[in-house]
Amino acid sequence: MTAPFDPGLQVERTSLAWTRTALALALAGAVVTRLTFDRLGVVAVTLGLVAVGSAVATATLAGVRYRRATVSLGQSGTLPTDGAVLALASASALAAGVAAAVFVMWGMLDA
Amino acid sequence: MDDEGPNGNHGFDGGRSRFPRRVYAVGNEPDPRFSLANERTFLAWLRTSLALVAAGVALEALGFPQSAGFRGAAAIVFIALGLAAAVRAWFGWMATESALRRESLLPAPSLGLLLVIGMVIGVLLVALGSIP
Repeated sequence: MTAPFDPGLQVERTSLAWTRTALALALAGAVVTRLTFDRLGVVAVTLGLVAVGSAVATATLAGVRYRRATVSLGQSGTLPTDGAVLALASASALAAGVAAAVFVMWGMLDA
Repeated sequence: MDDEGPNGNHGFDGGRSRFPRRVYAVGNEPDPRFSLANERTFLAWLRTSLALVAAGVALEALGFPQSAGFRGAAAIVFIALGLAAAVRAWFGWMATESALRRESLLPAPSLGLLLVIGMVIGVLLVALGSIP
């Protein structure tokens, strides 16, 4: 067990931030699936599986990212990561927002 | 750092394989702690986005307030703010990472004022819709 990269545990805190964001994304996907199920049926389940799968992928990739960062920072002091996982997480949040907007529009049409 | 040419060292792989290239093609590798802090700010914006969207969905799902017009308007306001926060998360992260690499001034915390005004309007709509 080697010493962490910095005493502020920046890499560890970032990793935990990824975990709770992925958890919120998975929850959002599950809730939107439940709320749109009555109208969309199998389509809602399919989209929900994609959403939860994307959240699981985000958490997994963030774990890989943490390992790469820890190794690289220990060896060369540089951060090897880039913005790819961030783009995936942004797209997932945007998709959840659009699905939520559709759900609210339906409610307005019914009223 | 001054002997690395006008565009800096681009990082250890010349900025070729890191996404997005627009960010990594210029400047020098910043202090890793700054990049990690920028990443956590991005994630905080993303969670803010999800919370705002959840607020809009909750109003509609719970049928609160009873007035359908105010309820729908408030829900749309919260969800629109949530979408804006998700967009800001990504573009804000890019802008800050670029500024860190170029060692220039950090961008302003844009969207903060819009978020405050939008949330006040959203809460006002809920309050108005709750008047019997």
